[in-house]
This record gives sequence, C-alpha cells and structure tokens, in this order.
Amino acid sequence: MKLLHIFRFEFRCQLRTASVWLYFLVLLASSFMVITMNYADDARDGYILVNAPVVIGVVTVLSCVLWLLVGSSVAGHAATRDVQTRMHPLTYTAPVSKAEYLGGRFLAAFVINAVIMLAIPAGILIAVYLNELEPAIIGPFRSATYLASYFFIALPNAFFATAIQFSMAALKRSAMASFLAGGLLFFLAYILGSALNQSTQSSGYGNLVDPMSFSIMLNKLTIEFTPVQLNSAVISLKGPLLWNRLFWFCISFIALGCTYSRFRFAHPTAGSSWWKRRKVKRKIHHPALLPVSIGIVETTRVTVPTVRQRFGFAAQAKQTLTIAIVSFKQLAKSRVGIFFLAFIALLVFVIVPLKTDFLGVPMIPRTNHLLTFLTAPLTNAQTPWIIIPLLVMFYVGELVWRERDAGMSEITGAAPVQEWVLFTGKFLGLTFTLMVWLTLLMMTGILIQLNLGYNHFEIGQYLQTLFGIQLIDYLLFALLAFVVHVLVNQKYIAQLLILIAFGYITFAPTLGIENKLLIYGSDTGWSFSDINGFGPSLQTWLWFKLYWVAWALLLAVLANLLWVRSKESGFKSRLQLAMARFKGLTIWTTILAVSLIISVGGFIFYNTHVLNEYDSTSERIAKSVDYEKQFIRFEHLPQATVVGTKLWVNIYPKQTKATITGTYQLVNNSAVPIDSILLSTVSGVSTHRIVFDRQAKLLTSRNNAADMVYVLANALQPGDSMHINFSVDFAQRGFSNSGAGSYVLANGTYFTNRHLLPVVGFQAYRCISDVSLRKKHGLAPRPLMPSLYNVEARYNLYQADQTNFEAIVSTDADQVAVAPGRLQRTWAKDGRRYFHYVTNAPIPNQYAFFSAKYAVHEVKWNNVTVQVFHQRDHRANLKSMLDGARSALAYYTKQFGPYPYDVFRLVEHPGYGSGMHAEATTIDFEEGFSLLNPIDKDAYDLPFYIVAHETAHQWWGAAQLLPARVEGAFVLTEAFAVYTGMQVLEEKYGNECLQRYLTQIRKTYEIPRTKAAVPLLRASDQYQGYRKGPFALYALSKYINKERVNGALKQLLAKHGSGKPPLPTTLDLYRELKAITPDTLQYLLHDLFEVNTYWDLKTDNVTAQPTKDGNWQVTLRVQARKDIIDEMGNETRVPMSDWIEIGVFSAPEKGKELDKVLYLQKHRIRTGQQTITLTVPNKPTRAGIDPNNLLIDLKVNDNSKIVKLEN
Amino acid sequence: MENHKFGLSIRNVSKTYANGVRALNNVTLDIPNGMYGLLGPNGAGKSTLMRILATLQDPDNGSIQLDNLDVLHQKNEVRKTLGYLPQEFGVYPKVSAENLLYHFAILKGITNRGERKVIVEALLRQTNLWDVRRQKLGGYSGGMRQRFGVAVALLGNPKLMIVDEPTAGLDPAERVRFLNLLSELGENSAVILSTHIVEDVSELCTKMAIIRKGQILLEAEPLRAVNELKGKIWRRMIEKNALTNIEQRYAVITTKLLAGQTVVHIYSEQDPGNGFEHAETDLEDVYFCTMAGHYGNASAKQQEVTS
Repeated sequence: MKLLHIFRFEFRCQLRTASVWLYFLVLLASSFMVITMNYADDARDGYILVNAPVVIGVVTVLSCVLWLLVGSSVAGHAATRDVQTRMHPLTYTAPVSKAEYLGGRFLAAFVINAVIMLAIPAGILIAVYLNELEPAIIGPFRSATYLASYFFIALPNAFFATAIQFSMAALKRSAMASFLAGGLLFFLAYILGSALNQSTQSSGYGNLVDPMSFSIMLNKLTIEFTPVQLNSAVISLKGPLLWNRLFWFCISFIALGCTYSRFRFAHPTAGSSWWKRRKVKRKIHHPALLPVSIGIVETTRVTVPTVRQRFGFAAQAKQTLTIAIVSFKQLAKSRVGIFFLAFIALLVFVIVPLKTDFLGVPMIPRTNHLLTFLTAPLTNAQTPWIIIPLLVMFYVGELVWRERDAGMSEITGAAPVQEWVLFTGKFLGLTFTLMVWLTLLMMTGILIQLNLGYNHFEIGQYLQTLFGIQLIDYLLFALLAFVVHVLVNQKYIAQLLILIAFGYITFAPTLGIENKLLIYGSDTGWSFSDINGFGPSLQTWLWFKLYWVAWALLLAVLANLLWVRSKESGFKSRLQLAMARFKGLTIWTTILAVSLIISVGGFIFYNTHVLNEYDSTSERIAKSVDYEKQFIRFEHLPQATVVGTKLWVNIYPKQTKATITGTYQLVNNSAVPIDSILLSTVSGVSTHRIVFDRQAKLLTSRNNAADMVYVLANALQPGDSMHINFSVDFAQRGFSNSGAGSYVLANGTYFTNRHLLPVVGFQAYRCISDVSLRKKHGLAPRPLMPSLYNVEARYNLYQADQTNFEAIVSTDADQVAVAPGRLQRTWAKDGRRYFHYVTNAPIPNQYAFFSAKYAVHEVKWNNVTVQVFHQRDHRANLKSMLDGARSALAYYTKQFGPYPYDVFRLVEHPGYGSGMHAEATTIDFEEGFSLLNPIDKDAYDLPFYIVAHETAHQWWGAAQLLPARVEGAFVLTEAFAVYTGMQVLEEKYGNECLQRYLTQIRKTYEIPRTKAAVPLLRASDQYQGYRKGPFALYALSKYINKERVNGALKQLLAKHGSGKPPLPTTLDLYRELKAITPDTLQYLLHDLFEVNTYWDLKTDNVTAQPTKDGNWQVTLRVQARKDIIDEMGNETRVPMSDWIEIGVFSAPEKGKELDKVLYLQKHRIRTGQQTITLTVPNKPTRAGIDPNNLLIDLKVNDNSKIVKLEN
Repeated sequence: MENHKFGLSIRNVSKTYANGVRALNNVTLDIPNGMYGLLGPNGAGKSTLMRILATLQDPDNGSIQLDNLDVLHQKNEVRKTLGYLPQEFGVYPKVSAENLLYHFAILKGITNRGERKVIVEALLRQTNLWDVRRQKLGGYSGGMRQRFGVAVALLGNPKLMIVDEPTAGLDPAERVRFLNLLSELGENSAVILSTHIVEDVSELCTKMAIIRKGQILLEAEPLRAVNELKGKIWRRMIEKNALTNIEQRYAVITTKLLAGQTVVHIYSEQDPGNGFEHAETDLEDVYFCTMAGHYGNASAKQQEVTS
C-alpha cells in the first residue's frame, strides 16, 4: 500500500499550497463571470437559456483552456517535488517501485486537478442560482447536464492535461516543463484546433487535435445545434467528442507509459536528456577532463594581477549589454522558444494561404495585406499571436528568476552592479529575442510571398510594422510582466497575475471599461492603405503609445526600486530599500515619466473628451434610447420626402476638413397635411444656418441638440413642396477614443450623406436591437426586421426617397472628386478643382463623395459612360471590371429593362475589404478587391462576376426595386443579384465557368450548421440571401426555364420598381413566380420558398450492362427523402413524389471539364429506396440522382456514383 | 565618533527574522586587515552577519563601517571592493567556467578587455581550474565549484572578503590548499571567514570571535586565548557509564571517544584530582569553554549563576 501512502502524502502536500486553492478560485470566478457577463445577456436576448446544457459545456471548455495556462504547477510539482527540494537522494533510494512512486504522485495530481475542475460547475451553479438572475432565463435544473459536462469534458480534460504535464515534468525533471506542456496544450486547443476548423477541408482534424474539445463545444453552440437542441440536448459522448476523447486517452496513456519506462531513480545530471547522451557517447573515450593536480596550487603564491575597475556610465552600459547578450543567449538556447517559433511559422503557412483566398481566387500577397495576418494588437486575443504575449510572460519569469533559480543570486547580488543595469540588461535581452521572432515572421511573410510568386517585397513596410508597431506593443507588455514579477516576487503567482492583467487588457471593453487611457498598452489601432499610407491612424497610435511608454517608464522605475537582489523579501524592508534607492537619476526619471503621463494623457484626454465627443457604449445606448423614446412617433407619421438635393461640397484633403452647403426639396407625398419635420444632424459635426423657406418653429429638445423637430406654421399640404437650406462644417479635430475619423483624408476621402449631412424623418437604424437592452430601458419589443406580413412597414421609405441630385464638388487641384450623376463641367479656380455633377434620373437618398489622386479609365456602353476611378497601380482587374460592367449592363437591359442613368462608376477607396458595395450609379470598393488575382481569367473570372453582381443591384435594391424593410428583403436584393450575376457569367464564359462558381459557393453547404431556419420568403441571414436564395432561383430556372423565371423578375420590376410605396416584398415575388410555374411544379415552389426544405438524395449504386443492340442498360439504386425543418429545428419528414433529375454521364470530351451528358431527365421520385433502369447509347461512367445539385441537399457528393460495369 | 583607521567596524547590530528568530543580538566587532575567524555552531547567526556584511541583508539596527564607507547605506560603493563567497551557491549548469568568470569580471567593472583576459586567466590558474575552464559548470565537483566561487570572489582585488563556511564540502587536501589561498589574501585585505570548524580558525586567523545564538561570546586572538586557558583544562579517560557521575561533579566541556573509551575534558581553575591530568590546551578547548560559559564575555555572568 505504498502507492496509497505516496498518494496521500502528495495529496496533502498539494492541499497545503496556496496556489491550488488559488486555481480553484480562478476557475470559480472565470466560470461565474462568463455566465453572468456573457450568457446571461444572451439569455435575456431570448437566444438561449442561461443554464442550457450546451452553455454549461462551453463554459466548461473555456475554463479548461484557461486552466491550461494557469494550473500546470500541480502536475509539475507532483512530478518534480523531490528533485526541486533536493530530497531525491532520500526518496529515490527508498524501497519503492517506480510504479508506486510515479503512480501515487500522478494520481494525487490528477485528483487535485479533478477537484479544481469542480470549481467550474460550482461557479456556474453560483452564477445561475445565487446571483438573482431573473427566473425567465433559467431553465429547469437537470443534474445530468452538470454530470455530463464534468465527466465527459472536464474530468477527461484534467486527465489528459495532467498526464502530459506530469510526463514532461517527470522526464525533464523540471516543474517548468509542465508549464510548457500546458502552453502546448493551450496552443493545440485554442489556436491550432480553431485554425484547422476555419478551413472546411480540415475541420475533422481540428476536432481531433484539440485536447480540451474546445472547438467541438463551440461549434455546437454557434452553428451545429438547432434552437430546440440548444436548450434541451444534453452533451452526449458520441461523434467527434467521443473520437476526441478516445484519441487523447490514447495519447495520455502513451505519455504515461513513456514516462514509466524512461523514468530512472537516478541523480539528475547535466545533459541527461536523450540527445545530449548521444552526443556524449561519442566522446566517452576521452579521458575525464580533470586537472592533473587537484585543488588550489599550493606552491605558487597568490598573485592576482591588479586590475582597474570602472564604474562609470560607459562601464554600466557595457554591463547592461553583457547581461542583455547573456539573457538573449539563455532564451535563444531554450528549446521551448525554438519549438514554439517553429509552430508559429508553420501556423502562418497554414493560415495565410487560407486567408489570401477569396471564393477560390488567390489574392496578391501585398505586404500590407499580409501584415494584417502577421500582426495582432495586444488587445486582440482571437488570433494565434496570443502565443507571443504568453511566451513573453513565461520568458520574463525565467529572466527575473534566473540567478535565484541557479542559486547564484547571492554572488550576483553582491557584485557592484546597479539595479537598473540588471533590469535593463534583461529587458534588452528579451527585446533581442522578440526582434528575432519578428524577423522570423518577416521572413515567413517573404517566403509566403515568394511561394505565391510575388516578389515586390516592401521591406520598409515590414520593418515599420513589425519593428515599429508590433514590437512596441510586445515590449510594453513585457515591461508589465517584469514589474509584476519583481513586485510579487513569487513566480507562479506573478504569472497568474500577469495572466489576469492580460485578460483585463483583452477583455476590458466587455467589463465596461472602454476609455483607452485606462487599458494598459491600448491604442486606437492602425491601418495601412496603398492610397493613403498609414493616414491619420499612425499619429493617433503614436500619441497613445507615447502615453503608455511613459507609464512603462514609471513601471520600470518601480521595478528598479523594488528589484530583489538581497535576501530581504519582507514588504517593509523592500520598501525601505526602495526609499534608499530613490535618488539621483531615478528621481529625474520618475519626474519625466509622471510629467509625460500627465501632459500626454492630458493631450489625449483633450482630444478624446473635449475636441471630440467621448461616447462610451453606455452613453451611446442612452442616446439611442433617448432618440427612440422622443421620436418613435415619427416612424409611422407621414413625413415629407426628399425629392431634390443640391449641394456645394468643398473638400480640403490636406486640412482634413470639408464644408457643405445644401438645399433639400421636400414634398408631401402622403394624403394628409404634414405639420412637423424631424431633422437629424450628425452629432459631432457642426450643422448650422438651417433655414426653412416657410415659417417653422424649432422645438428645443433637452440634452439632444442634434435631433430637431420643426413645427411648420402652415402645414405642408399633400402634393406641396418646400425647401430646407443648411450648412455643414466638418473638420477632423484631433482624434477620439475610437481613433481619428477617416472621412476626409489627405488622399482617399470617402464619405456618404449619412456620415455628414442632415436627414429628414425617423432613422430606424438608430434603434437598439438587443432584446435585453430594450427591456432594460423600457422600450417596446421590436423585431430585428419587421414581419413579412407587416403591411404598414411596406409604406416606410427610410432611405428610399427618390431624389434628383446635383452637386458641385471642389477639391485640391491634384485630386479628382466624384459624386453621383453625369459630370457637367469641371474647372479650376484659386488652386482648386471643381466638378459639377447632375443625375439624369432620381436616385435613392443614399450617395457618397470621393476625392483622391485617381487614375480614371473610361469606356462607353450605348449612351452610358462607364468609368473606373482607381489607385494608379491597382490595374490588375481593370479589364475584368470594365467587361463585367458592360456585359452586365447589356444583359440586364435586355432581360429586365433599361438602366435608368447615363453614367456608371466604380470607385476605389482606402480599406482592406475585398468585396464591393453598390449605390445608384456608383459602385465603391476597397483596396482588397484590387488584390484579387485570378490565375486563369478565362476559367474563373471572379472580379468580372463580382462587378456583374454589383451592377445587378442597379436593378435590384440600389436604384430600382427597392424592397420594403421587412423579412425576406435579402432575397429581392442579394439573391437576385447573385442569380442574375451568374447569368452574366454564364453568358460571357459559358456553363463550365458557371459550374466552377457554383461549386465554390456550394462549399458553404459543407460547413456544419443548424438546419433550423425560417423559410426563404422570410430570409433573414447572409446564407439565405447569398446562397440558398440564388440556388432556389437557379433550380427554378432549370425546372421551368430561365427565360420564364427572368420574365417573372421583369414583371416584378415593372410593377414595383418605381420606389413608390407600398414597397415590394418576397410575397410579390412569390406571386409572380406562382404565375409562371406549371401546376405540376407548384409543390417545388412551395418547398423552395414557403417552407424550409432539405432533400436527402443519394445514389447507393449504379450498374450498367451492354445490350444486344449496342446500347447500355443502366440500373440506379437511389434513396430519397425530404424533411421540412421549422425555425426551432423541429423536423417533419414529408412524403415525396417529386420530379428529380436522373443523369447518366460519360467521361468529358477532350478539352472539356464537365462530364458528357448521356441522359438527363426528370423522374418522379418517392420517399425511400427505388430502382431506376434506363438505356443510354454510350458507355456510361457516372450516374446519379440530382447530379447537378439543384435541390438543397447537405451532402452533395453522394448524389452520383461511378458506374459499375457488368457483363 | 570613533576612528576607523582599520578594516571593518560593526556596532550594535541586531537582526530578528519575521518568524521571531533572533539571529543577531547587539553584535559589536572590530575587524582589522588580515584573517578574521567567526566561529560558532550551526544556527548561531554567522551567515546572517556575513550576508549583512555582503550587503544582501539589512539589520534592524546598528551600523557598519568599512574604512570610510557606511556599509548599510552605501551598498553600491561597498560592492565595488567586496568579494563574497556564500555558504551555498549554484552555477549556471550550461555555461563554462571561463565564460561565467568573464561575465562576472564585467559585472565587477573590469571593462578593459585585455585586463579582463589577464585576470580571468590568472584566477583560473590560481584556482587550478585552467585545464577545465571550457567544461560546463554543471559537470563540476563540489570542490571545483567551490574554487570557482573563490575565483569569482577574488575578481577585482577586493578589500573585504567574506567567506561563509567555505571548507564544508572540501576534502582534507583541498581544504588545506584553500585555506592557504585565503591566508595569502589576508595579507592585504580584510578576510572574514565564518566556520563551525575550529581548526579552520586555529590554523589561519590572527583574530577571531565566537558567536552563539546571535551573541558574541568571545572576541580574541586565538593564541592568547589558548594561553589564558593553559592549566585550567583537565582530562581523564573514563568508562562510558561513569560519565553521568562526572558530569554532575565537574564542569565538563567536551567528551570524546578515543579507542573505545571516553575522554572527558573539564574546566577547573584548581587541580580537580580524582585521576584528572593536565590537558594540552588548544583552540577547541577555548571554543567549548566559551560555549559552556567558562570563558569569554558571558563567563562572569555564567559563573554567578552556577556558583
């Protein structure tokens, strides 16, 4: 029973250490906080119950991942207690077997960790039941939930982690090895698992490599579970979770077995590691390197040569450098760093190619684009680079404790070295290490670029970003870590505290702390664009960094004052020592730091609170609540609509300011007189000289100067019109807490009317949508989107007023200014250029202004001028863009009706986005689009398609057919644009190219997602708008025919394209589609649009045999079924009697990509298995049911099979 | 103000640890140039005093003066002339002796490259580590490591050498050589050697102090102290079972085993008779007499109590 005794002894030892209880508390607090601060809010939104099984599962894995970083010392100490305390000569020689010794220690560590894990359910229970949560968000208590998440997740996790940490520590004989094992597991769980899961191909591996089953649980919550399952399904041990557990059980047992066989009751000697032993073996025949005579030579007299000692500044600098180099070597030699670095480099290779691919099209790996993946601000814990601060934390611990760990602290402490020399030296050593890492990152980036055939390396930009921006972030954090280590003077507790500090830095906004003056190391971010460089973001960044560097300086002083070099660790004596050290240069440094903090902090405060409005989230919410409460009455009150807009816009790029004078012409389009006008100006932008052309009285509103109600002395009668004049002065004054605004830039100005100009009427987008927030502030419930059946909403125009537009825009002489409408005239005056734009037809009341040093490319299509305004060197996709625009204009005009305007523009502006955005007459796009780099444009010209898609919006959603803002609006805009864009692609490049695009976007099927959804008619999310909607229309076009479906769309446009209320909804579309659908296919229309249908079609096997007359008889055994799933996830199997394509194919003809069709006919297919026999003229290779994937089927690959030939 | 023309002067230094242990109690010592032995049993407060002198600890009160330096408040100045060999120390196992010594040379302010080379080589030769200078310190034996410590302590011609129980881990031959090295150092600087081994002091030191429970029991020159005790120490061989009886009757200072019999030393100013004979007095007798309270600062007080 020695094992039991060893177990008990170790168990008691552990229970006596404070850290074990601290870990328990940390997990208790973290699970409590995640529930109360995150899931309670989600529950109030009605999204999920706060104690839903999956929530408990997710909180469990989250806490486990955190615990990996925190709690490694349990296994580490259990494995190395004897070596660390140098008790091993006593214990190793005791008559105890290896199994008893290791087994007892391991079990004790495991049981302790299992006990610590109990903190998770405890924290959850406290959060749910002792926290006065409202009963409505709490589901019934089910013990099975807690048992399952403890026994299927937490306990196995504890076992895996303990086994691996224990093994590493026991074999390396160092408790730190356990810490590193924890780091490695964290890396696998939090970083690699999620990274692999981001790519659809490797998601299986992601689930497997993650020892904490972190991504498995998160997937269940975010995409896999239906709403019903979310609240009811208990976590069960099957599927990926089971495999994951089994896999890691195997790994853990292998690790433990390895430890058992490799562990020796032997004195730890230097170089006891495996590869060192190998090296030594080769040298072993050399005589031992012992001196000939032992001891101090007695014959020679002690004559130590006299040397000069120098202690001036130069000597101190030399000492600093020496310590820096030694520290750097120490870090560089530790294999941990190299190991993680290799992993990081590998990770970059895994991630970046995924991210530089947009819908199957590679992007030019331009340095600034690549750098967005290679860097991450300290405040972002969502990227793999979180590993760097964690490594920094670990390394700082090693550096601070180096002398003491080696037992050399007394000798070093008595050496004539100043504290600041020791501190600065070590800090510099870490700096060198970080620089090496960043160099490695840079080289990785360059390798990726080389690999992708890009050789225009902007080394300067690499250096600027990595060594200018990123390094400072890491150094600030490193300094904080130094100070905490010095201050706390307890390695593990310091590490825990640093972790908490890091948590605060990353999650401060969640905790309600947003002021960046209060979040260590934070800044307002930076961005880089080819058009405008760093723009104003860099300057703001620098101010914030200067502020934090000043704090860091103060922290460094603190670290120096409290630096431990003696045996004195009591608080009082350290304080006394600090007082004694506080003199000379230290005082001056302190004064400098404090005055910098005050002056720079004051300057930042002046910018963020005085020059600009400081808007915390709570203030913003309060403003929105106030706005809604005051003005909601206008939402359904008839309001005057803008029918004419005349603007004089002066853009001053260098001064980053703009002045605008304008006139709105308003008309009463309703049937009742309008007596008051709600006019909202943009807060923070000076709007003045608001003049009505008739008598109007301004109702002053309390604490809200931006929103004004004017009561007209004489009401505006139906059909009557009036004018409002106004002036707007916009100047970017300094920066705010969220950074410097980016409307007017030195190059690349882009702003819309919503950004700067006053608007008339109630702005629904300003209402809060969060359910719990609405409840909290006493606002009436308001659905995210009004119901499809809300008739009143169809009369609400929002921004859909149709206005005539005219603008004179001026800018610097070397820039081009762009606004909607045909350019009437351009002229220069007083060193400025003027552009006069007028639209030939009304546009919806949404428009943008641009000004930059554009290169302009222009072609004509019929009477329409097609122009691309682009950054000079962004020319790669020019031809595709112009082709796309012209082909699309021609095709849509033919199919759906004329293009209403005489200009069509594509305008680039700064930003990383790779998509485009359409407004009437104008498509704007960010620089990411210019990076698209199709390898073979004829095969798959994505830029062409994107332009065709956006051009389609000129018919659907941006200029014509403006849908009512109700459910399903997505279908009338995006689904139409995708579907009609596909037709242009097919028209230009043929069916094969279209199929390539379809295959790309069909991949979104493969991402596991809940099947629960509203029917397409009420489409509410991107997936339905961009994927399911177009697929439904495409299926219809294949079942009915393309021209008739287009005809229905044309009809819809003709009836509802005017922009006059009532605005169209999917119900109008459905009516048109019904009209063109034959009776036999009405069921299909219903399945596609009215309910949420999933088909499950599968070919079991296909055989073929030649017939006597030279034909082939093909026999297919297929299975089919159809389910209707409601939005809560309730599935109903419905009987099928559907027309579904059966196809038989032979190998593609030469030069073709698609299989040659031998047979393609619709058959009536019922539910279940059935056999179909048919005859084809040639030898078939492949056959199946719905081979073109027209119907919504999650498994697209099993629809057809290779034909088995029989004789 | 006293005149500190020589070495180190320690005045009324006391130190109590947080756990209540009184490590030093009003210690006052004058330590001139030369070898100075600090003798005491384990736990007497020797290491505490040594660490205070080495600027690594602060006393609760008292003052220490080294020549014109205030040791407690001018730590950095003191460190410039300090050589310290702690009782226990480790090494960076993966660094070679030469490299580490080089490193410490820089830390000690020897920034001239040439001089540094010279002194590092000289010290490695002196401590007989030259042949193994490239070997990793992790592979060093206890004695080699101790000699390496000496080499570090000797860097930069220290005026004050503090050597805390240096002979503990050394074999007899190495111990002798080590002490030789120290004695030569004592010729031009103050060397303070703390030990619980009486021979270390008797062989080397011109002055010594005996410390117990934080108090200085004796401050003396070893030879003079031995002389003063001459004639007052008596010895007798006895059977083991007679010891209790003897202990009750006489002031026993040591009992030792010699060839299976017990040798008893007692302190007595007159001839005790009863088979006792004069013992050859040595420093060990001084030490144990002092510890037993028959000799030194505390003896007067002690005698009052016993008589």
